[in-house]
Order: sequence, then C-alpha cells, then structure tokens
Amino acid sequence: MADVLIADDSEFMRNLLREILEEDHEIVGEVENGVEAVEVFKEQQPDLVMMDIVMPIRDGIEATDEIKSDNPGAHVIMCTSVGQEEKMKEAVKAGADGYITKPFQKPSVMEAIQDVVPS
Amino acid sequence: MKVDVQSLGTFNELAHEGAQEATGSLAQMTGMEAEVEVTKISLVDRTDVGEELGSDQFVGVSFDFEGALAGETVLAFDEPSKETITEALVPGDEADEAMARSSVEEIGNIMMSGFIDGWADYLGATIDHSPPTYIEREGADVLPAAPAGSERDHIFVFRSQVEWVDETICFYIYMLPEYDSLTGLLGEHADAESDAIPIEKLETFNRMTRSGTQTAAENLGMMAGVDVEAEVTRISFAPIEDVPKQVGTETYVGTVVEFTGLPSGFLLVLFDEPSAINVAEALMPVDPDGEGLTDQHTAAIEELGNIMTSGFVDGWANVLQQSVEHTPPRLVHDMGRAIIDPLAAQLGQHQRHAFIIDSRMQTESLAFESEILALPNEAELRQALQELQVDRADQTEADVEQIF
Repeated sequence: MADVLIADDSEFMRNLLREILEEDHEIVGEVENGVEAVEVFKEQQPDLVMMDIVMPIRDGIEATDEIKSDNPGAHVIMCTSVGQEEKMKEAVKAGADGYITKPFQKPSVMEAIQDVVPS
Repeated sequence: MKVDVQSLGTFNELAHEGAQEATGSLAQMTGMEAEVEVTKISLVDRTDVGEELGSDQFVGVSFDFEGALAGETVLAFDEPSKETITEALVPGDEADEAMARSSVEEIGNIMMSGFIDGWADYLGATIDHSPPTYIEREGADVLPAAPAGSERDHIFVFRSQVEWVDETICFYIYMLPEYDSLTGLLGEHADAESDAIPIEKLETFNRMTRSGTQTAAENLGMMAGVDVEAEVTRISFAPIEDVPKQVGTETYVGTVVEFTGLPSGFLLVLFDEPSAINVAEALMPVDPDGEGLTDQHTAAIEELGNIMTSGFVDGWANVLQQSVEHTPPRLVHDMGRAIIDPLAAQLGQHQRHAFIIDSRMQTESLAFESEILALPNEAELRQALQELQVDRADQTEADVEQIF
C-alpha cells in the first residue's frame, strides 16, 4: 500500500482517481494546482504523486520539476489528458516516472503504479 | 496549387453578395423580408456535403454552370418553406401541384441567375447556366453528387443560409464548383505569395482534424461506456463577424480553452443542454443530487471537455512536432452566440476572416450531440500549414512506452 497524493484541478477526476486507488492505497491528500501539490508533498512526503499537467496557477510539469529537484527519490506519475510527444518529453525532463493519458481505466492506473512503486 | 487568404475572402464575399442578390429577388417577388445569415466556404470530405440538412424533406432547384467557373448550384427549401413561398406567389386555391412546382422552379431560376451573375461580372467573363431542374428529396440527397471529373476526396462548397424575418422560412444556397475550375481561379487571383497555402496541406489538415475528432469521440466513448462516432469535420472560411453565427441561438453547456503555440486560438467543446445532462450522467458513478443541470453535471462536463480538447489538439502537436499548450477548461453555459461572441471579438483584433474548424459527433445508444469548434489565429494557422509535413500526417499519436 502506497501513500498517494492526487493533484488535479478537476473535482470529477479527483473523485474518480480516489475511487480507483483507495481500495489498495492510502490517499494522503487531494490538491487542485501545482503550488498546492508542492506544499502538500513537503508536508506529507507521500510515496507517489498522481499529477495532472494542465492546472491553474502552476502546471504539473513545473510542480514535478520542483518536487524531484528537492526529492530525487520521489515518485511522480503524470496523469493527464495531454497526449503530445513534446509534452511527454518535458515530463521526462522534469523527472516524471510514468505517464497515463486520460481517459483511463483501473487496470492501466494500477499497472503504472506497480511499475513505479513496486509493492 | 496554392490558395491565398485574400482570394478566399474575395470569393466568399462574391458568394455572399450573390446570395443577397438572390434573396433580394425572392423578397421582391413574395413581399417577404429576408436576410442572408451567413456565407462560408468549406473544404469538406465529399461524403459530408449537406450533412447539416439532416433527414428533412427538401425541395431543390438545381443548375449546372460553365464558363469562367464550372460546377453545380442548388437552392434548397424545406417543405414548409415551399408552401409558404407558393402561397405568397400563387395565393389562394389556385396553386395546384404543377403550379406550385412551376413557381418554385421559376423563382429558383431568377434567384440563381442573380447569384451567378455577380461571379461573372467580377471575373469579367461569361458563366452560362442550364435551365433549372426541380427536385424533391430527403436531406443531402437534394444536393448534386460532388462534381465529377475529380478523384479527390475533398471538395470546396460555398453555402449561404438565408432566414426570413417574421416567417418560418429557411433556405440554403449551395454552390459546388468543380475542384480544378475553382482552384485554378483561386490560383489566378492569388495576390500575395507570402500568405498562400498549398491546398494539399489544407486537405491534409482536414484529415488530421477528422482523426483528432475521432480520438475525442473515442475518449468520450470510453468514459461514457458507449460507441461514439465522429460525424462531420470541415474547415470553413468566413468573415470574423459571421463566426458567432456558426452555432445556433440555443443554450449550450461546454468548455472553452485558449491554446498557445502554433497556432494559437480557442477551442470549444459544446453540448446542448439535454445532451450535457445525458452525457454527464453516463460518466457519473452515482445518481445526481438534483434535477436538471447540477454542479455534479457541470464538473463532469468540465473534465470531459478537458479530455476531449486534448484528444483533439494532441494530433496536431505530434504531427507538427510542437507543443500546443492550453489553459484549463473554462465552463460555459449560455446561448451559443453569446459564448462565441467574445472569442471572435478577440480574434478580430488581428484578422478580418477566420478559419473555423468544426466537428460533430453523436451516438445512437445515448441521446446526445456534441460539437467541437476550433478558432485558430489565421496567420499562425497559415504558418503551421506551411510547416506541415504531409508525409507525417498520420503520426498523430505519441508512443508513451518509447518515451518512458
């Protein structure tokens, strides 16, 4: 079981992710933008961040960059509707460990988590 | 073959003036006041021509024309409009079927002469047209088959929508020029090489747009658990002031994002209200809290708009090997034109005409229709098309496994 922080500006998507994850993992926080994601990461030190890319105030790639710069061992999976190659490369550069494109189903989410945070 | 924006604008204006001339003739004969709502040039897949006519019964008057420009043109009324016009022309019980038909045929003849004459005058040449042919058919069948003699899957269509003041009359004027005839003219009238777009790239872009619509439809289908089909995709060109008329006056719910990169612009995902409720409820894991459009519905629509937007623009970005950024989706819930008005005004600060990318999708298993409308910055779209490598057009999907 991993401690997971969900960062997504969509309440609908946060609910969906929580429903998918809470049976097997502990949800330690839900935030709506990149600034909050960095703050809550520092407080909670979760095992994994499920990070959206397009968010207000600060996007998910910038937040990932800061989290990984300060905590190279942190695990971040980008969980986004963006399927652009250039954006994926930016995510890799920022230190993202995985990438799931929306819409997704539970098996693909669990598989991505298993790849990044083996139980 | 290239087409420049100025020529597209001029030709669109010619079609608009022709439609006004035709409408004026009809108004003069019937005494009913009318106005041309919108005229636009669209580059469409030939199988999509006339899709907006739905399955209603139409009466049409068609003509072939040849000379400086060649092709076919059709004036199409729905059945109730035909009856109203016939009543105005041949009042009372005098209008038997043959008389009704003859009156419509003649009015079509007069109107379409006005439509064609403007083109001939502008081109300083003659355009001859055939006698009118009267047709009664369902939906797009009222239109002629796409002009023969071309193996192309895309054709240019000029379409004017005319509405009557205080009357429930609506009719359409379609002009389907032969591809080579029109593109030859566009090439001859191209004023500035610098803003010319190769037509092949415009066609490729239209195909990419169809692919993006299909991806957005698949995303929606996966979330709602139904099969959704991309129905129509077209690129149109119209004066900026006509852009808000692309959508009706009914109320829509959806999302707007502003995208940056090449090109920049706006992208809207719109549902009519009943469709929005049906789709949102298909996405919700639990029953909604209340009746009508609740916060739960709008939250679902907001996220759906986000995912559909990405599905739509990612293909462009991957083919162009660029990043297209977009803002988080902003929920909109208003009359269609009120949603688009401020966006068109913003674009209108820098351009007189707009390319409008319009896609629609629907499914039989869930009562809904959705429309995706993209309004790119015209100059940047031209630049993007210049940079488009046609042989990369099928590389719309990025390989996550390869990158991670």
